Amino acid sequence: MNKLREKSMGCVFLITALASIFAVIVICLFLFANGFPTIFEIGPLDFLLGTNWRPTQDIYGIFPMILGSIYVTAGSLILGIPIGLLCAVYLARFCPPKIYKYLKPAVDLLAGIPSIVYGFFGLVVIVPMMRDLFGGNGKSVLTASILLGIMILPTLISVGESSIRAVPESYYEGALALGATPEEAMFKVMLPAAKSGVTAGIILAIDRSIGEAMAVSMVAGNQPVIPESLLSGVRTLTSNIVLEMGYATDMHRAALLATGVVLFVFILLINLTFSLLRKKEDK
Amino acid sequence: MKKFMAMFLCATLAMGTLAGCSSTTDNGSSTADGSSAAANDAAISVVTREDGSGTRGAFTELFEIEDADGNDAITLNAEVSNSTAVVMTTVAGNPDAIGYISLGSLDKTVKALAIDGVEASVENVENGTYKVYRPFNIVTKESGISEVAQDFVNYIMSAEGQAVIAEEGYIPVETTTSYTASGLSGTVTVSGSSSVTPVMQVLKEQYEALNLDVTIELQQSDSTTGVNDAINGISDIGMASRALKDTETSEGVTGTVIANDGIAVIVNNENSITGLTSEQVKGIYMGEITNWSEVA
Repeated sequence: MNKLREKSMGCVFLITALASIFAVIVICLFLFANGFPTIFEIGPLDFLLGTNWRPTQDIYGIFPMILGSIYVTAGSLILGIPIGLLCAVYLARFCPPKIYKYLKPAVDLLAGIPSIVYGFFGLVVIVPMMRDLFGGNGKSVLTASILLGIMILPTLISVGESSIRAVPESYYEGALALGATPEEAMFKVMLPAAKSGVTAGIILAIDRSIGEAMAVSMVAGNQPVIPESLLSGVRTLTSNIVLEMGYATDMHRAALLATGVVLFVFILLINLTFSLLRKKEDK
Repeated sequence: MKKFMAMFLCATLAMGTLAGCSSTTDNGSSTADGSSAAANDAAISVVTREDGSGTRGAFTELFEIEDADGNDAITLNAEVSNSTAVVMTTVAGNPDAIGYISLGSLDKTVKALAIDGVEASVENVENGTYKVYRPFNIVTKESGISEVAQDFVNYIMSAEGQAVIAEEGYIPVETTTSYTASGLSGTVTVSGSSSVTPVMQVLKEQYEALNLDVTIELQQSDSTTGVNDAINGISDIGMASRALKDTETSEGVTGTVIANDGIAVIVNNENSITGLTSEQVKGIYMGEITNWSEVA
């Protein structure tokens, strides 16, 4: 009787595990089966390296969007990582319990804010601020980077904090016993020991940053041209899809799906590189 | 080790300021005083809708913002928004911006411009002086729809239904029929364009009040989905804020114009300009006119 229960529960767990894998496979198949024929119909080089996006004239070049995604993601990481990691260090080690009690829920709350709300906040607060500071219309690579930089903070902070906390206390005490100051022990012993967790946090942050559509499309200006400066408008792969999907028909719609394929391949590549890096480190 | 922390902080700060510096020089001095109240000598911030939007399609067609081959030629430097709300918020917050929205959505946060000396209003669209408007379509199967769905269509096209449309700020189409409740019962599914949904919502309420046994399910998505729903039989009636494409009508559906919707060209309330000619609007959206002083 016990054995039967054991077995049936084993089956239940197997099915739940398979459900998520099944979802990934179906999404992959759907994207690739719909996207690849389109890419070949347009011509892979024309599609990936074309700098003109004029769907009404059947010209589909997504190079400006690829660059846009890279710029905005890089910008958000440059702004987000230093703040996020230092905050994680503070929360994990130096924060008095009195402040921690308020700081931690605040960070969690930041994670729970829907992206459309971030977008609206960006549109009515950050955009006018940028316009007053730098002129122009205020919607730019920089604005999108700042907004995304804020949006990735909770991921960086909570993953960073928990991986620092996972490092055995003895490392810290050992470093102190060898004459290190608390800061030295933190930055030279604890952080390197928590490296794999911190890297995982950064990957998640990149994925969130490159995958964010709604908020970015509200503050980036969305011009389908290669940005000339930090203050030019920019369109990312995701906002290209979210902007035009509603009204797109025929080839235009297929080209948007193909944009999704490119984005998906990007995220796959990022995750693969990092898991390879981590494997190397583990050895 | 406090030193290390301090240095790190300094470095981050320096990076931030440097980034700021380089970007200001990149941008040049063209928009140094972009926030001045009167937008007389400032670069125009052009705001447009996304490719494929019904509003954009109608706008480019009506102002002939097209290249030699008749293709959409709105400047690629125009900022792109995918909803009326974002266009309005952007224009309301930027003294130098220009945009275009559905006349039915217009409110006091922005200022509608007169085009060729004609105010943007329902009356002026009706009497034919304001030429910038587009059709709202409902999409039905050519092979016929259920009796109760047909009854709802009859209501929309009747004098009673068109009165509701006029009351909501849209321009009714000509009609000669009047509607009397037929005592049918059943469910009608209507889905599609978010631009048509608000007026359809009111039509639904009025119709249900006349026909207590009929339920109308209204689903908001977009024009393309609405048309596809009608083709695939997912809904009885689809809604589209644009004319149907040939590839769609060849699938066995027809579009019926239920109303017209004016398109208003809008600027910030602080902008001193009250009207433009259609040539000027075209020039601005083609990227040929880039400064407000050129149209003042």
